[in-house]
Amino acid sequence: MARTEPVQDNEILLELKDIEMTFGKVTALAGVNLKIRKGEIHSVIGPNGAGKTVMMNCINGLYRPQKGSIYFKGEKINHLNPHQRSRLGISRTFQKVEVFGGMTVLDNIRLGRHIHMKSGIVSGAWYLGKSFREEIEHRRFIEEEIIDLLEIEQIRHKPVGMLPYGLQKRVELGRALALEPELLILDEPLAGLNLEEVEDMARFILDINEEERWKVTCLLVEHDMGVVMDLSHRVFVLNFGNMIMDGTPEEVQNNPEVIKAYLGEEDLYATRR
Amino acid sequence: MSATWLPCGTYHESYAQDHAWWQTTFIKGKMILLFITVFIVIPAVADDYWLSVCNQIGYTILGALGVQLLIGYCGQITLGHAAFIAVGAYTSTLLILEFPWPQFMLNMGLAYPISILIAAVVAGIWSVLFGLPSAKVKGFYLILTTMAAQFITVDFILTQYVSQIGGRGQAFSLPPGTIKIGPWSIENDIQVYFMMLVLVVLCVAAMANLMRTRVGRAWVAIRDNDISAEVMGINVVLYKLLAFFVAGFIGGIAGAFWISNLAAISTEHFTWFLSLWLVGVILIGGVGSLHGAIFGSIFMVMVMEILQLAIMPLADTFPKLLMDFLFIKEAAFGLAICAFMIFEPNGLAYRWWQIKNYFNLWPFSY
Repeated sequence: MARTEPVQDNEILLELKDIEMTFGKVTALAGVNLKIRKGEIHSVIGPNGAGKTVMMNCINGLYRPQKGSIYFKGEKINHLNPHQRSRLGISRTFQKVEVFGGMTVLDNIRLGRHIHMKSGIVSGAWYLGKSFREEIEHRRFIEEEIIDLLEIEQIRHKPVGMLPYGLQKRVELGRALALEPELLILDEPLAGLNLEEVEDMARFILDINEEERWKVTCLLVEHDMGVVMDLSHRVFVLNFGNMIMDGTPEEVQNNPEVIKAYLGEEDLYATRR
Repeated sequence: MSATWLPCGTYHESYAQDHAWWQTTFIKGKMILLFITVFIVIPAVADDYWLSVCNQIGYTILGALGVQLLIGYCGQITLGHAAFIAVGAYTSTLLILEFPWPQFMLNMGLAYPISILIAAVVAGIWSVLFGLPSAKVKGFYLILTTMAAQFITVDFILTQYVSQIGGRGQAFSLPPGTIKIGPWSIENDIQVYFMMLVLVVLCVAAMANLMRTRVGRAWVAIRDNDISAEVMGINVVLYKLLAFFVAGFIGGIAGAFWISNLAAISTEHFTWFLSLWLVGVILIGGVGSLHGAIFGSIFMVMVMEILQLAIMPLADTFPKLLMDFLFIKEAAFGLAICAFMIFEPNGLAYRWWQIKNYFNLWPFSY
């Protein structure tokens, strides 16, 4: 069941224009165009090695594309570093969880608040007063908005490195959310999770996309076709750095080229049901 | 290291309680006892020899704090920390000896405190200078660039040029009465001891506060995963340099403090072995913990002293032992690190944490 709410008329949040990225002689992206509108869940699918993660890395600045331009809210952001882009409101999770293993869950999520906090070395070393009030204020936000949403109350003081994989993924989502992003890049949020965790994660993604409090635009890279087709407003299909199509889930499922490249001829799509 | 388990039946009711250092009445009592011990009991009972051992411990703690910040918290391995301690010591000494202080400042005893602050800032900036390669290089390669700091600063600049200032030759000696804080002239071991205590308490408190606020978290994030730290909005290069600055700053304080305990300041006190020694201290104490820097310093200095005491009676029969003590000391240092790497790689601080948890959770261990 695909999402039907109209998001077509919303303003464009992120736009990629003719992005080209090559590593030596390997072309990872060959002129990709993508428009993401405010409020939608836009999925990117494609076989392994299609260039999905490269595309995500280009969007948040870990890679610099050789050609093409990236616009965020109408402004060109090609020249910005990853940390500057995160200040504009781009946040992400990683394919392999990249949490801070030595820090507690709470500290990981607090770190996501970095750009919203102000204390520096002097006020931090003194602590009493400004830094203290700031810590308490943000702690309230973290507890009430994020830990409550993601249901990780019981592990908040545990070091993340000691948690099972599924919970690490959840903490990573919490950390990305703590940044209060406008655009959230989810790079395979469901990889390696069991069925129950997949259901939870899918619900979290829907929550943060739909709830008035968050209304986060999501860019989702995922291989689980059932989830992708159910959650997405639009699906973008990538194959060897080329865009095959960008359309609603129904259009994608019925496109013969997509079926040939990725979904498979016989079964319409594989899922874990 | 994660938070300690609270004893059964203890619950927090506000976020402020959960942020506190000392979360239960028991811990508060324990810490007050500790402060009474170090501020009142030790100065009352210890003789000059043991006070000088305590001063040695305090100096090692101040030095190890900076190394702990760089290696343990920010993941920037450094083998040149003695250089920044030396810069602090020399800056402070030169300011006291060569700067034309107005007479009223000398009378009020402001020269030395001000020189400590300036020395700390100069050492911090010097440290940032040698931290610049950390923007591009990581791990083993960074070790070499920090070792360059040691050799360029101490063996080249300080020995060849700075030591010649004033035509004194190899060492600077501070005339009595020049090291003066306010009305107190720092002359004997007990005064050095109190100055050491104040500096150690201030520096440890500042570090502990930094580690529970924004800057400290950013440092730990860079250590654990620099790519995702950058994606989360941390300017990685800036924060690495900030870590170098704060480490150098504390190193500068250590150096400026240590001149009060030295008869003559020469580069022999800041050899490369001191840098290595400080890294050994935090390895034994526990990497990534403030307790580690403190426990490691106490352990290493005490082991060396006890070793010396043990060798003394043997020296009559084997006079060569006394002659070779320096080498025995180095061998013991190496042996201690080997033993800790094998039997307790997380250091003394981890053991301490385990013991605390054992008693907090007793009798239900999980």
